[in-house]
Amino acid sequence: MMQVLLVGVSHRTTPVELRERLDFSASGVERALASLAEEPLNHEAIIVSTCNRVELYVCCSEAASARAGVERFISEFHGVPAAEIAPHLYAKSGQDAVRHLFRVAAGLDSLVVGEPQVLGQVKDAYNLAAQLGCTGTLLNRLFPAAFAAGKRVRSETALSEGAVSVSYAAVALARKIFGNLKGRTVLVLGAGEMAKLTAVHMQSQGIGRLIISSRTASNAAALADALGGTTLPWESLGTALAEADIVITATGASEPILSRTLVEQAMKARRPRQRPLFIIDIAVPRDVEAGAGDVEQVFLYNIDDLQAVVQENLSKRSSETAQAEAIVSDEVERFNAWLNSREAVPTVVALRQRFEAIRQSELRRLEPKLAGLGPDARARVDEVTRLIVEKLLINPTEQLKSLPDADTVAAYSDALNRLFNLTADEPPPAADHPALTAAGSAKAAKPGS
Amino acid sequence: MPMNSIPLALYAVACVRYAMQFSRRTFDTSRAASTWLVLAMLAHTFIIGMETMRAGHLPVAGATSAISTFVWLLALSYLYIEFTTGERSMGVFILPLLVALQAIPAARPMLEERSPLLEGVWFGVHVSSLLFAYASFALACVLGITYVLQFKEIKTKELGFFYERLPSLQVLDEMNLRAVKIGWLFLTVGLISGAIWASQLRATGDLFMSVADPKIFVALLCWGVYSFELYAQRAIGWRGRRAAWLSAGGFGFVLLNVVPVSYLFTTSHTF
Repeated sequence: MMQVLLVGVSHRTTPVELRERLDFSASGVERALASLAEEPLNHEAIIVSTCNRVELYVCCSEAASARAGVERFISEFHGVPAAEIAPHLYAKSGQDAVRHLFRVAAGLDSLVVGEPQVLGQVKDAYNLAAQLGCTGTLLNRLFPAAFAAGKRVRSETALSEGAVSVSYAAVALARKIFGNLKGRTVLVLGAGEMAKLTAVHMQSQGIGRLIISSRTASNAAALADALGGTTLPWESLGTALAEADIVITATGASEPILSRTLVEQAMKARRPRQRPLFIIDIAVPRDVEAGAGDVEQVFLYNIDDLQAVVQENLSKRSSETAQAEAIVSDEVERFNAWLNSREAVPTVVALRQRFEAIRQSELRRLEPKLAGLGPDARARVDEVTRLIVEKLLINPTEQLKSLPDADTVAAYSDALNRLFNLTADEPPPAADHPALTAAGSAKAAKPGS
Repeated sequence: MPMNSIPLALYAVACVRYAMQFSRRTFDTSRAASTWLVLAMLAHTFIIGMETMRAGHLPVAGATSAISTFVWLLALSYLYIEFTTGERSMGVFILPLLVALQAIPAARPMLEERSPLLEGVWFGVHVSSLLFAYASFALACVLGITYVLQFKEIKTKELGFFYERLPSLQVLDEMNLRAVKIGWLFLTVGLISGAIWASQLRATGDLFMSVADPKIFVALLCWGVYSFELYAQRAIGWRGRRAAWLSAGGFGFVLLNVVPVSYLFTTSHTF
């Protein structure tokens, strides 16, 4: 019986130093897939390698030996001693592996719960393996099912909603104030790392103008060069403030640099008047006087406010995990149903072949007695016997295909094997038989029913 | 059972669906609410169409039928906005208004008996412009209220229920302004055509109306409020929250004119 086996390491089990050494994307996933295909036990393989996880999904007939093979492969491919990897490695097979993949795709296993990139990364991994011909029936069904699970979680829960970093929270707020940030003017005061990060996020929203000002003009110039903005002398702060839609302050000043009076003046000077001003103060100690936030049409958020937003979003996300897990379970069940129906296929085929063989041999035995009938009557006899067999088989076929789990399928198959002696060496049925696939015969049964 | 109960029931169902959509934030996935509203609109269109055929003109002459037509226009304007902007979070605010107003024609029989006085082009222009203006102001009111709600959550840094559901302040502000502009234009046309028509009536001695009539007075008051809003926006930069408050408050006068004044206080303007 073919099953899915997963062997891997992730941020949950493994320090980043080791993950880096096991990263396949650095050393070539294609090469790894090619050499993995040479392993005798694995029939299909996909490698998911991101900065937070390295996971190998293979299709195997026997989990324990395949696991040993994959572990050996990882160790040999990266030249990292097996003993060093072993304590961090996890392996899951069958249903557990399926569930794990679905949870990964849904973002439930991510460092930041609900982050959306992982779904794309898993898709890329699958596409690459599929292009290289490393996937087969099982993984070609498993991975798309995982994408569907991920998509459902994203659209039916709020697991991926809300910004979970300070800079994204600032961007999200700006979008709620200004709608779209295209053409907006952003003024950055200070030239530190946080200022840069937030400015970069703003730029990705297509802002119109980026103005950078710092007490140290050279720092401002360096940042402006790096981000493609313009600089402004520190002294003309007032005018810039009147022009800006969004102000990011991140200086190292020990005293507030934007007083309430300064902001009030800027609001009076701006055109059109009452245009909102969004001030993001990410400096510690604060750069903006708290009172500035009371000015009409001014929105002031400091680092604590933004962090509170992030915390709130994180807790909202975690409150969605239960619902997301339920969706994952639902999808896992659906996949297992497909897997089980597939398990039952050999038994169904064998059963049909056995019935058909009996029919044929009975017809042959009766041949002398039927010889006196005309061709029409003989065709009718053939038709009637075929319909009887079909009708007898409809219910068992459907039942077998909808069994809930693999064990039951095995038990039923076993019982059927014994009852109908399906494994016995029979002379193969006559060569002129129509091919007996489950779907084909179910269709053929319809006209008679 | 008055025929207007059918659209009323459908509007009520749509109202519930919009509320569900709003609370669960299924704007992207669920189109059930919009579908119900379209159904209600179709039923309502049918009834207004029947009435038009029966009376030979749009049913706008009686206060009750004017309300029914107003509800229809408002639903139409809202659907226009929803389909052009894809913004479906506003429905939850508009629908209760539709249901409440539609309850009046559903409860009272719609007697569209037009007196000979009310024939003529100016009367038609007068009433239909005003109804359309009022529908625009209703939308502006909702946009104003939502702006204030959204503004409050962002300003006080308590990002909660409305923050997650409503569009950005910028969008609300722009839509509000546009609705007020359109409404103001039609209100002006409605008032001028009304004045022309009234002067014609006065000339023939059929009827005398003055600004002392509450309905006319309140309409002029509305014109004053919205004119101020547009002026303040242009001249002293009253956009955003102040404009939103004016839109929200201004509709109070409009509503006053549509319902209680029509039924209770009006003297000469009895239709």
